Amino acid sequence: MPRIRIYQEDHILSPTQKVWQAFSDNPFALMGLWAVCCMLTLAIFGPWIAPYSPEQQDPLALLLPPSWDASGTVEHFLGTDDLGRDIFSRLLHGAHLTFGMALGIVLASLVVGFIIGSISGMMKGLKSSILSHLLDALLSIPSLLLAILVVAVMGPGLDNVFWAVGIALTPQFVRAIHQAVHEELQKDYVTAAKLDGANSIQIFWYVIMPNVWETVIIQTTLAISAAILDIAALGFLNLGAQAPSPEWGAMVSQGLDNLLTAPWTVTIPGVAILCSVLAINLVGDGLRSALSPIRN
Amino acid sequence: MGRYLLRRLNLFLATSFVLIAVLFITTSYFPTSKVVALTGITEPTAEQLQNIETTYQLNGNQLEQFFAYAKARLSGDLGVSITSQRPVIEELTQALPASFELAIVSGLIAVLLGVPLGVFASLSKNKVTQHSIMAITLTGYSIPVFWLGLTLSLWFGVKLGWLPVSGRLNQLYEVEPVTGFMLTDTILWESVYRFSAFKDALFHIILPSITLAVLPFTVVVRITRAAMLNIMEQPYIKAAEARGLHTSTIVLRHALPNALIPVLKNMGLMLGTFASYAMIVEVIFSWPGVGSWLVSGIYQRDYTVIQGGVLGVALTIIFLSILIEVIHNAYNPLSRKELYAAN
Repeated sequence: MPRIRIYQEDHILSPTQKVWQAFSDNPFALMGLWAVCCMLTLAIFGPWIAPYSPEQQDPLALLLPPSWDASGTVEHFLGTDDLGRDIFSRLLHGAHLTFGMALGIVLASLVVGFIIGSISGMMKGLKSSILSHLLDALLSIPSLLLAILVVAVMGPGLDNVFWAVGIALTPQFVRAIHQAVHEELQKDYVTAAKLDGANSIQIFWYVIMPNVWETVIIQTTLAISAAILDIAALGFLNLGAQAPSPEWGAMVSQGLDNLLTAPWTVTIPGVAILCSVLAINLVGDGLRSALSPIRN
Repeated sequence: MGRYLLRRLNLFLATSFVLIAVLFITTSYFPTSKVVALTGITEPTAEQLQNIETTYQLNGNQLEQFFAYAKARLSGDLGVSITSQRPVIEELTQALPASFELAIVSGLIAVLLGVPLGVFASLSKNKVTQHSIMAITLTGYSIPVFWLGLTLSLWFGVKLGWLPVSGRLNQLYEVEPVTGFMLTDTILWESVYRFSAFKDALFHIILPSITLAVLPFTVVVRITRAAMLNIMEQPYIKAAEARGLHTSTIVLRHALPNALIPVLKNMGLMLGTFASYAMIVEVIFSWPGVGSWLVSGIYQRDYTVIQGGVLGVALTIIFLSILIEVIHNAYNPLSRKELYAAN
């Protein structure tokens, strides 16, 4: 039964509630959020859900097609690869490598980028411009080149991907946060707070930061999708995760030998990467459009 | 404007300096002897060793070594490749045109298709059209490029057999390089087969360039759409409408030039990602450009190739991104105002 409204006045939503309402009005964004939640669960609990271990080889079921194919079986839901390893289990075990690691990398570079970006954004003149311009330049160096340098020094491996992708992502955070802080700093309400006698730390944390969080959130979602794609690309080029690893990009490159006879060994990990990145981009897009009325 | 250009030039020099410094520091960490990492000569004779020591100041302190390194690299001495023992600069200049050709063609595809579609998406009042365009661009933005390349080559190259999936040209044609761009070289080739060769080169570039174009295409569509939506609300567009101008005139002459400004800016920001993608695409389609050369260099631990390639590619990208910024500012008076207003 609808509540009878006696009074004219509306309940005034807090900014967070407004954002949530705008966000949840968009069905695609909500779908993306659900997918991201599922991915998170899989990244954490995947190894327990998986029916087989990622390296377990079944010599009786080599290159078995997925279960919806006529010759597939339900035991190997998404089929097997050329060593008889269950692709479904490998995907589940790889979720925390590709997806979980992307989150870790983004978190690390967010912290570093936040610190550098806010310091350089609060500074004025030459110091600020040196920091920001140099990082601008770093930003233009492709992540793959950085990865190649890192691999040349430290050799391939999943932990080196952390450095390569992290170094490539940090300048983006620095740049975004620097610009946001710098823009806010020019505005009148900051001057008002200054006239009230707030010191620069108070101005930064209590005056400017509440208006910068949106930029941080949007940049984070962008960075997560970029990180997943980068990790997978490095795995594909054999510069990141190495052969038996169930990292999704590495799975694509391992399936490459059988591309013509067993295309699902390449297609299925690729679709997994696509879906996870798509889910994050949906959330990011939804957040951006939900936040934009407040930002403008 | 002069002062601004000078500042950009300074920025370019400073960044290149930092880049060389980073390369110098990494070089000393390469798991090989310093002489090999610097020059690529695996078994130097006593005379060569003497030479290397004087060129790179190996007996001096770190700072002297750095300046000697920078001097050698900037004068075009990138050492020789460890595997092929050919000068790195030679291999680099051979590979660069192929990469540029691929990048230019896919950039053109992205802009020529992306801008009209973005304008169309912004003008369309139909919800279904809007949603489907946004869905397509979002998917294109999320697709892993290596997987897309494999899938396209599997379908169009192998299953349907329409297009070649590797290389730039059929081995049948011995086209002598003039510009290094296969599409122009085949046209300039003096032979009766030049048009069939051109057709062949064109067929070879279709799949890689489309794969590479997907990311910039989606970005261009989204940015154009957002910019157009924003601009169509502006008072000057309303004024143009009130004057009774035709919609096409308003869109093409009044709105589009302004909508292209953010597109240009984002292209500059996207260069790094674009270059990463280009390298992956080159590897997948065996395109003989810098990307596949560099990746094979890392597989063979060819340290001089890695240094030379990273230096060449990064310098090109830094230069292009600064160039795009300069063009952006020259084209957009508003950002110039900001430039002078800020200290």
